Amino acid sequence: MREITYLEAVREALWQEMERDERVFIIGEDVGVYGGAFGVTLGLVEEFGEERVIDTPISEYGIAGAITGAALVGMRPVGEIMFMDFTTFAMEQLVNQAAKMRFMFGGTIEVPFVLRTPAGSGTGAAAQHSQSLEAWFVHVPGLKVVAPSTPYDAKGLLLASIRDDNPVIFVEHKLLYKIRGPVPEEAYTVPLGTAEVKRAGRDLTIVATSIMVKRSLEAAEQLAREGIEAEVVDPRTLKPLDEETLVRSVKKTGRVLIVHEACKTGGYGGELAAVIAGSEAFDYLDAPIVRLAGRDMPIPYNRNLEYHTVPQVEDIVEAARQLARGRV
Amino acid sequence: MPVPVINPKLEMAQETATVVEWLKREGERVEKGEPLLTVETDKVTVEVESPASGVLAGVRAVPGQVVPVTEVIAYILQPGEELSESASQQIGRLADLPLSPSPLLPLSSAPATPVAQRLAATAGVDLSAVQGTGLGGRITKSDVMAAAPSPGKVRATPAARRKAGEIGVDLQAVVGSGPRGRVQAADVTAVALTLAPSPEAGRGETVALTPAPSPEAGRGEAMVVPLAGMRRTIAERMTASYREAPHITFTVRVDMSGFEDVRAQFNAKAEGAGVPRASVTALIVKAVAWALKRHPYLNSTLRGEEIHLLSEVNVGVAVALEQGLIVPVVHDADRKGVGEIAAGVHDLTVRAREGQLGPADVAGGTFTVSNLGPFGIEQFTAIINPPQAAILAVGATQPEPVVDEEGQVVVRPVMRMTLSADHRIVDGAAAARFLADLREVLEAPALILW
Amino acid sequence: MSLNKPDLLRQMVTIRAFEEMAEQLYTLGKVHGTMHLSIGMEASAVGAIAALRPDDLILSTHRGHGHCIAKGADLNRMMAEFMGKENGYCRGRGGSMHIADVQGGNLGANGVVGGGIATAMGVGLGLKMRRRGDLAGFWKPARSADRVILCFFGDGAANLGPFHESLNMAAIWKLPVVYVCENNQYAMSFPVKKAFAIERISDRAAAYGIPGVTVDGNDLLAVYEAVSQAVERARAGEGPTLVENVTYRWRGHSKSDANRYRTREEIEAWKEKCPIKRFRQRLVEAGELTEEEAERIEQEAYAVIDAAVAFADASPEPALETIEEGVYA
Repeated sequence: MREITYLEAVREALWQEMERDERVFIIGEDVGVYGGAFGVTLGLVEEFGEERVIDTPISEYGIAGAITGAALVGMRPVGEIMFMDFTTFAMEQLVNQAAKMRFMFGGTIEVPFVLRTPAGSGTGAAAQHSQSLEAWFVHVPGLKVVAPSTPYDAKGLLLASIRDDNPVIFVEHKLLYKIRGPVPEEAYTVPLGTAEVKRAGRDLTIVATSIMVKRSLEAAEQLAREGIEAEVVDPRTLKPLDEETLVRSVKKTGRVLIVHEACKTGGYGGELAAVIAGSEAFDYLDAPIVRLAGRDMPIPYNRNLEYHTVPQVEDIVEAARQLARGRV
Repeated sequence: MPVPVINPKLEMAQETATVVEWLKREGERVEKGEPLLTVETDKVTVEVESPASGVLAGVRAVPGQVVPVTEVIAYILQPGEELSESASQQIGRLADLPLSPSPLLPLSSAPATPVAQRLAATAGVDLSAVQGTGLGGRITKSDVMAAAPSPGKVRATPAARRKAGEIGVDLQAVVGSGPRGRVQAADVTAVALTLAPSPEAGRGETVALTPAPSPEAGRGEAMVVPLAGMRRTIAERMTASYREAPHITFTVRVDMSGFEDVRAQFNAKAEGAGVPRASVTALIVKAVAWALKRHPYLNSTLRGEEIHLLSEVNVGVAVALEQGLIVPVVHDADRKGVGEIAAGVHDLTVRAREGQLGPADVAGGTFTVSNLGPFGIEQFTAIINPPQAAILAVGATQPEPVVDEEGQVVVRPVMRMTLSADHRIVDGAAAARFLADLREVLEAPALILW
Repeated sequence: MSLNKPDLLRQMVTIRAFEEMAEQLYTLGKVHGTMHLSIGMEASAVGAIAALRPDDLILSTHRGHGHCIAKGADLNRMMAEFMGKENGYCRGRGGSMHIADVQGGNLGANGVVGGGIATAMGVGLGLKMRRRGDLAGFWKPARSADRVILCFFGDGAANLGPFHESLNMAAIWKLPVVYVCENNQYAMSFPVKKAFAIERISDRAAAYGIPGVTVDGNDLLAVYEAVSQAVERARAGEGPTLVENVTYRWRGHSKSDANRYRTREEIEAWKEKCPIKRFRQRLVEAGELTEEEAERIEQEAYAVIDAAVAFADASPEPALETIEEGVYA
């Protein structure tokens, strides 16, 4: 199967869905001729025109209002907010309006849109351009939150998200844009709410999100040389969460290491840990549940400091090793 | 006064020793100076001698357990004596025996017994805040327990508790290898392996037959047998062995005519002396022990990065039970005569079938013999019993045509035996040489005198 | 467009009757939470919505009962919603501040000041897109292609960032949006004199390159005229307009308002300019309605409200088992 980058996979999903469904359009800052802050939408405006690939003035709140309102009258917008940090501007429309209108109006209306947003650190962009805020959105009923980790998942999940009738926050880690992977040429969907065991193992379960899936798989390779076989589970959709796959894995291995980039306190890992501890898997736990996450601090500018602010492969290896050897 | 048996400190920097096996059983009469158990340090394996004559009691360390030095691991009782609480309280580090605390020492640094120290560490108790009630103001285990937040509570993971419940192991009897002494599932399994199925454990092991539809295995109802107890333990150990040790297997045919002659001779004598007859297995054990002495790599074990060539030859004999398999051990098979081995194998087999084996009976094996000849099996491959280096699978002895020294086809009793060896330790040539020697001595048992 | 003026009077009186009843029910404890009454602002709602076609859309504010009624809502279902009943417009989940009549084109009142302004811009964007030929087959039954969205908001919302961001975006894309600012002189307790450095809110339209007009919000026909022009502009694809209806609310901001920020005299003065009284007088003076007919219209309006209360009283509560319904599609 041909291999393309994560970025190309996102673009291909947009392209194919816009061809298939005329209601789909893209809106955001610099998504047209510029091709998007990270180049994801390059080429789309030339193909689909300015009516369907819309540049906006600088107004994230406006982008959020635009996709909410357009969705209310039957369109299927895909908005882009170029850094997840800037979703802060859009919160009112996303949280008070889009997430709640269906419920407040007794189920008589739908708000089907996708808001794509690049997140994460590692590019030296520092504190205000490097955040991972997915936990905030997971905490808002009415929103769905998706965080694909591979090109295959990115294309499949984006197509599924656009076709979902709810507002979906689609989180793309900046460092994933360049990774390559096999992606079918035809359109296909990866259902929301399905996790995937990216690597089977028996000694411990590593639950990882977004960029941490890749790092966990690398860690697993290293661990295998020491005779530790790690199972890596990727939730793929953060909300709704596929609890069953997660619990099944933990029951098998008895040891869990949760890895995410966002800061530990109040992070999504706490949710995962509580789900595991409160499930059938509790009786199979042979060690406390371990969370490996970003430090509780803004992302610093200095390259080395930035590197050590979030979990890296060696951190995952060490934490997994301690856990697998019964030292936690 | 019960006399404590101490885990001795043998080297300067030594902090712990591993119990290898008990040579005497709880309740057995022992003489002063008699070896009670063997322990192993980083460097040596030594026997610990009894400090007094009397009855061995209060055995509180199991094979495989890592025990701090100078800690009490058993007692010798005089007739009529019993172990009391106070006896256990007063035991401390007998090496330093001032009867009263040194006047220069403030009360806060009153010495504490090793047990008390360990308990304090695992229970998170600050020793300087504990009042000692032991000998000379010593802080004892019960002092710490009184000060501990939840005295007597076993720290164990949910998985460990579940396993303990399944196999029927008392968590109090398990020493935890996890942080702060937490008992993990592997600790429970380790203890379970050294214990015979007990009557209580029988509850967990009872086959619960539940008619249940089995979609995979064909039509009709299937019986559902939970993987529990001994079955589960075997499943786990065999899987681990098969996965971790690269097995190489070798089969040879043995002409058993000479063997049968010798066995007949032996058994004639045995009957006359009123002692148990020797089974085929018992004699094979003797032959195997002889061969192992000459091929130490087949009597070794892999520990981390090191191959330990073991000094004793303890041959395990696989015994089939209804609920599975157990391997009692004939210790020092190289040093025992056939008569003793035969008696030992007979005794172990009987006690195994009655569920009467103790920890010492199954501990310390260095090689295993499994004989399925009585079941008519001609030849089979066995899985190595970890952490041993090899296992011998013995098949049935049957009349077969062979070509004799003169090139004539004659019928002889032939037995096929198959060696499975761990290729990390044993190469083909080494295995071949061992088997060649073994065959030679089975075919001509007089060579044992060599 | 020929107006059915008696019907417009009826609408205004219905709103007045509804608001008065809602107030009464609240004091009796039959409606819980809070409510924001628009007594005194009836002409702004009725005049503006009269300029719309039935299939046009509106977005409303927290003070949205009048908008909802003017847009043709069923009063029984409105009252049921106020009482939190299952057969209310929102199955009892929305209440006063979030009442919506989606089928009727009311995309909802809003509990957040200015919360609908950007959404309206988005609706305008969607409506404009739906005029494209390639989308014609998507929605059945086919709605008219030149629908517009009318967005109500107050003087307080006009100072929010989203007001500026949204008007600008509606302007640059020439979206079919009519922005109607109901300037009732106060944002809760904060008077417009202190909140603005300009005299007329509609002056801000110039900043976005769109027309802005200020009218007497208590003169129904004036409101109607101004909004009609804005609607025509929008329908013709010429973009948004900002219409400012200067009006006044007789009651406090919400039920917990003690009116400390304004004087009794001021309130009384505005009551003299009551939009219902003025319009009724006008119709009678012009011979379009007799006093008796006018009187009957008012009585019938109040009777309809009484019937709505009875309906709502008899309506069922939502079942607890359905508590999580409607969160996701």
